[in-house]
Amino acid sequence: MAEIKAAEVLGRKKSRLNNTATLFIILVAMFGVFSYVGRPFFFSKLNIIPMLNNLSFIGIIAAVLTMVMVSGEIDFSVGGNIGLTACLVALLLSKGLPGWLVVIIALSGGLLMGAFNGMLVTVIGVNSIIATIGTMFIWRGIGYTLSNGESMLAINPVIDFIGRGFIFKVIPFPIVLLVIIFVVTYVTMSHSKWGRKIYAIGANPLASYLSGINVKKVKFVSFLLCGATAALGGLILTSLSAVGMPQHGQGLELVIVSSIILGGTALGGGRGQILGTLAGVLILSILYNFLTIMNVYYFYIQIVQGSVLILVVSTYEIRQAMARRRI
Amino acid sequence: MSNDNGVVLSMENITKTFPGVVALDNVSIDLNKGEVLGILGENGAGKSTLIKILAGNYIKDSGEIFVDGQKFEIKGPAEAVASGIRVIYQELNTINNLTVAENIFIGEQLVKGPFKVVDWKAMTKRSLELLDILNVKLDPNAVLGDLTVSEKQIVEIAKAISKEAKILVMDEPTAALSEEETQSLFKIIRTLKSKGVSIIYISHRLKEIFEITDRVTVLRDGKKVGTLKTVDTNENGLVEMMVGRDIKDMYPKREVKIGDIVMEVKNLKADGFKDISFKLKRGEILGIFGLLGSGRTSLVKALFGANRIKAGEMSVNGKRIFVKSPGIAKDGKIGLVPLDRKTEGLALIMGVKENITLANIGDLGKSFLISKIQERKKALKWVDEIGIKTPSVDQEVNSLSGGNQQKVVLAKWLESGSQIIILNEPTRGIDVGAKIEIYKLMQDLCERGSSIIMISSELMEIMSIADRIVVMSKGRFTGEYTRKEASEEKLLHSACL
Repeated sequence: MAEIKAAEVLGRKKSRLNNTATLFIILVAMFGVFSYVGRPFFFSKLNIIPMLNNLSFIGIIAAVLTMVMVSGEIDFSVGGNIGLTACLVALLLSKGLPGWLVVIIALSGGLLMGAFNGMLVTVIGVNSIIATIGTMFIWRGIGYTLSNGESMLAINPVIDFIGRGFIFKVIPFPIVLLVIIFVVTYVTMSHSKWGRKIYAIGANPLASYLSGINVKKVKFVSFLLCGATAALGGLILTSLSAVGMPQHGQGLELVIVSSIILGGTALGGGRGQILGTLAGVLILSILYNFLTIMNVYYFYIQIVQGSVLILVVSTYEIRQAMARRRI
Repeated sequence: MSNDNGVVLSMENITKTFPGVVALDNVSIDLNKGEVLGILGENGAGKSTLIKILAGNYIKDSGEIFVDGQKFEIKGPAEAVASGIRVIYQELNTINNLTVAENIFIGEQLVKGPFKVVDWKAMTKRSLELLDILNVKLDPNAVLGDLTVSEKQIVEIAKAISKEAKILVMDEPTAALSEEETQSLFKIIRTLKSKGVSIIYISHRLKEIFEITDRVTVLRDGKKVGTLKTVDTNENGLVEMMVGRDIKDMYPKREVKIGDIVMEVKNLKADGFKDISFKLKRGEILGIFGLLGSGRTSLVKALFGANRIKAGEMSVNGKRIFVKSPGIAKDGKIGLVPLDRKTEGLALIMGVKENITLANIGDLGKSFLISKIQERKKALKWVDEIGIKTPSVDQEVNSLSGGNQQKVVLAKWLESGSQIIILNEPTRGIDVGAKIEIYKLMQDLCERGSSIIMISSELMEIMSIADRIVVMSKGRFTGEYTRKEASEEKLLHSACL
């Protein structure tokens, strides 16, 4: 009896291949095939670095949005947030504000946008789909207002570094940010008390509330962080393109949410993995990049991206239905 | 075959299994024309499964059903209805913003003319006729939302007999009714019976079984114990059939030393109740009895901070406590085992260990990280101590039996160190064996110095386990009895005041 217990305390690893592992296998296979078919350009520094830069802000936002989605909510306003942040950054730079101050203001602006979403959802009780579709339009509208609908140059040493700087002369700074955010969100979701609360709330908000968990506070903070991260994404995109324009990030919310769902996060909350999201972001971004460099017409790329999302999610559903039948 | 006193329905050797449970094991019943057959059994005995098979909501694994002597394969609700089987569930299916007539004819409105426009006049007229058959006066144009529970039930019955009904099944129809309303329901049942309708009457109130049924079939743990003529039996006999053992073994009551006052509530008022005052002592089990809608669940939620208190005060161990949220109640060492463990008590897709530590995530390690070893040790400790049957602490609670799920909810509050544990219908939907374990567990807790508030609508249970019983009706306390004083009559009488 005592030995059995020791084994129990240490826990056992699950033997069956889970969804996340499957996704990474698909990812590696995809990468191999693309490198071969797309040789020599696909797997070259000229392609890989810009590709990683482009997926960095998608990934950063997706990681934090995964937290929001596991808690059972959603944030569609991240794309609008990027647009507003981009215009704000360019406008402030044009007024001659120092770069570091602009960064602080931009991130604070992101926090404010997140706080507004969080307040709508937790204090007033608006459904988060509706609330954040609403704020998506509002943020972008404010972006258009700030910029008068035009692109503005955004050049400044600090801002330049965020998207185009290198650490140790070789590692692009956005990639460093991406890695940091993924490590932090992974530890939070899989090993921290806060992350446990997020999963519990997503699994059953009422039972969590009746267990003394402050459901509203946890959700509010998730929205807050999501807003700040979207603004960080906006900073990266502005820096990469060297312009601030209100169209920045348009449609990106759907790419990000698709990546997260592809990674195995359930829309209803309670289930989802940060590593799954990472795999989802990489798969969709690499696929997009590959099709682009293969000169596939943009119209077809959209069809492929949509189909991949539906295909993968259908597989989850089928696997789940089969698991249910096995019981 | 449909001669008088012929068999209208026979269900033979019905078996139904769910993952991990045999819900029905070779159960047979038969029903004569114009008869009231009582089906008696504890929660989890298989009553509802049997009814759901008859109504076409579940498909049986094996067995045969004969209606009017003809073999009948029920594949869905529509076929059950077509063969004259009508079921009135405890949770009524009426629609609150439609009128009486609209509810009666829902899905099959009477129409006229080539364009099939709704014939309101005919519907009103036919509704009046149906209500007349039942001998009740009710306005066909009244909106359901304005009616009482018993009137809504009458509308359901009218709907059931609007097309030829041979067999009427009533699942715990009196759960929300006062004594008077119960009597008028019985009048309706007798009227229907005299018109040749056969009725299956499900209840666990013995008094009613004796009053209204001709025969009674007793189920226990998915098996049929027997069928008797009601006149040939008595209460004790039926109870022993239901629980499968001596009543003393079913409700093991120990005398626990009762200590000082741990909780005092004065003139408490919130949505659903007012002027509630009581004292709870150390080691005591205080029972709260009330019918559906008496305000008992509102009270429980208020005590736990989930229903805003509007007036009055509460103190724990002599200190005033303002329970503005479940978090504050938890810190005040109050725990709640809620009415519906699946929606209110457990995160079903999470594991046993996550659920046991759900109320104390903050205590899982010193830093912001969860110590998974500590978590596992804590969970294993309770699994061992209160006997939760699970293959491992990683198991999703979804796959545990009702009794073990309930123990997981209880373990959550034990882990929390709760001194006052509120249990709302603690044995709802769990089998007899697990029930006895829960009763024992409750008393173990009392022996260790906890106090318990137990809400129950099962008379036998509350009269046997609680040290003191207060009765609630229409949001107030209407009676208080010690265990010795309490009787079924007294409790039901107070519950209808």
